[in-house]
Amino acid sequence: MDKTLTYVVAILAIISLAVASYGFVAFQGQVADLESSTTNLENSISDIQGTLTTIQEQIGEYQSNITALEEELGQYKEITLVDDMGNVVVLTEPPERIVSLAPSNTEILFALGAGDKVVGVTDVCDYPYDFAAWVEAGNMTSIGNYWQPAVEPIIALDPDLVFGSTASEEAADSLRSLGYNVLIVEPKTINGVLESILLVGRATGKHVEAGEFVSELRQRIDAVANTAAQADSIPKVYHEVWGPDIQSAGPGTFIDELITLAGGENIFHDAISSFPIVSSETVIEKNPDVIIFPHMYMGTTSWGTYEDIANRPGWNAITAIQNDNFHIIDASIISRSGPRLADALEILAEMIHPELFG
Amino acid sequence: MKIDAGESHLRRVSHWKLYFVLLTGMLVLVFIFSLNIGFSHIPFDNILKILAKNVPILGDLVDFSGVSEVQESIIIHIRLPRVLGGALVGVALAVAGVTYQGIFRNPMADPYTIGAMGGASFGAAVAIVLGVGVALLGVNTVPIFAFVGALGAVFLVYVISREGSRVPVTTLILSGLTVTIFFNALVTYLKLIAGDKLHALTFWIMGGFTYTNWTDVSSILPLIIIGTAIVYLYARDLNILVLGEEQAQHLGVELEKVKKILLASGALMTAAAVSISGLIGFVGLIIPHLTRILIGPDHRILLPTSAIVGASFMMICDALARVIIAPSELPVGVITAVSGGPFFIYLLRRKRRGYTVR
Repeated sequence: MDKTLTYVVAILAIISLAVASYGFVAFQGQVADLESSTTNLENSISDIQGTLTTIQEQIGEYQSNITALEEELGQYKEITLVDDMGNVVVLTEPPERIVSLAPSNTEILFALGAGDKVVGVTDVCDYPYDFAAWVEAGNMTSIGNYWQPAVEPIIALDPDLVFGSTASEEAADSLRSLGYNVLIVEPKTINGVLESILLVGRATGKHVEAGEFVSELRQRIDAVANTAAQADSIPKVYHEVWGPDIQSAGPGTFIDELITLAGGENIFHDAISSFPIVSSETVIEKNPDVIIFPHMYMGTTSWGTYEDIANRPGWNAITAIQNDNFHIIDASIISRSGPRLADALEILAEMIHPELFG
Repeated sequence: MKIDAGESHLRRVSHWKLYFVLLTGMLVLVFIFSLNIGFSHIPFDNILKILAKNVPILGDLVDFSGVSEVQESIIIHIRLPRVLGGALVGVALAVAGVTYQGIFRNPMADPYTIGAMGGASFGAAVAIVLGVGVALLGVNTVPIFAFVGALGAVFLVYVISREGSRVPVTTLILSGLTVTIFFNALVTYLKLIAGDKLHALTFWIMGGFTYTNWTDVSSILPLIIIGTAIVYLYARDLNILVLGEEQAQHLGVELEKVKKILLASGALMTAAAVSISGLIGFVGLIIPHLTRILIGPDHRILLPTSAIVGASFMMICDALARVIIAPSELPVGVITAVSGGPFFIYLLRRKRRGYTVR
């Protein structure tokens, strides 16, 4: 019994030993398995990380591609501009060095806040700043006269955009042949001036400012025109442009358009040319109610004083002279195709209809 | 006696050579000096570098550092064509002046006084106003129209002022003046109907090289070379013509034929000059006289030296025109007239002497 028990125990012991050793071996195997699977896992993790890095690298590549493409796209964000003469100018970036060949262009550029890009003006540009003093102080360069300017002073400034007028068309031709961008700004009407402002705005990257400015100007012009339209009378207006061989303003001039908008009737509205030379007799016969002279008239280079005009033979018969209805306006406001034409309209309206605008 | 004459001839020839070398040296100096004059201050060595760069083989050897693109543009496209254009016009007017003074045996004859300029300016004005001046079959038509006008005017004056076989001073000047006034009146009429071409026409008539470009230079270069060459071929005949037409006929000159060829050559050169520079007075008058005082009346030497002096004079006048009121420019005609007017009066009061070969 004991022996049997002993055997049993021994067998059990052997079995359990065997089981244990098997278990141990199996465990060992499992550990090894586990270890290998851990290694596998680690391997696959590093694989995944490798893939991730690759993906990240690719993303980086794509991103730099995108940036390059965006840059390329940016280069094609060009502006095509057509000036008043039908010349086409294509700009790929906003101009940094602008030359203005007319006082009206200078006024528009500075009104739109593009004045800091202006590197050259003419020697007749005097608004909104005293540019002659700027030139003297070395803060601005004068390219010379407005009428037929020389090309070399303009090229010397190496401009990336030049705003010309019909007075500088020959210089513009030369500049264009040398590869410079030139826009001729020469509006014929008040609406044309507003369009010119938009053109200058687009060309200089100030299109938002130009839009706001133009709508403000249009409001002011409309306000005057609407009020003037309610007037009971349409006074006859004589605007003397030059003397003493007196010259007035006829159809197609800003002066004529402004007088009409301000509720007056230009007595030379039907003249055969834009700036007709008229006879003293015609003025007396047309008998204007209001007489307007440019400012320079009273200056040192004038062709007479108020007395000289009142005492012109036969002029005492004119209603305007009898009523002392005689006004002076700054010639540069009323004759330049710039933003101050709105000022000119308001001033004229006050002269022609003091009862409405006083 | 014969030996004496031979010796004096030899002495004179060596004299000529000396003057010719000196004047050519002056021409080169004036050329470089006038390239150096203008609104922008471009260092002298930069000018030399820019010039050298455009010479085929030399160009590769030049160290081009310190020269900006703007400077190159100014020298090559602005100053060089106008300096060369000025020199060519100086040559043309001076040679035409010598020719006319020789044919008419008259110290007052020059392209202006005998009507060639008036005729040429009318022809050119027609081309400008009709707008055919741009390009017809790839040819600049302004010189062609100017030539027809100049030729017509000169023959008109010649026919009007001829008395038998002579062309007396008074009738020549009077008929020249009449024809000039007639053509000027036609130009004034063209101005009236020029419309938007008025600016271009007015400025062109004032005379100057402000917008002279390479096309201008290349369009007149062949005309002036041909004209000068023809006149030079007839230098001996001119010497004989100056002695008097009867004597010339005795010496075997085919008078009428030679005169017509020379008149046409003078008209050709006047037309070439007028077509690019407008009306420039006095050059054709004073340069031949100045040279004659310097070198004597023999046309074989008078013609080439007048050409050199004329070219130099015109380049100096144009350089002055550029800088006197810089950055604006004076019309070069103003400078030649201011310097030429007093000389003209001096000639009028001076006792006439020395128009023949002694």
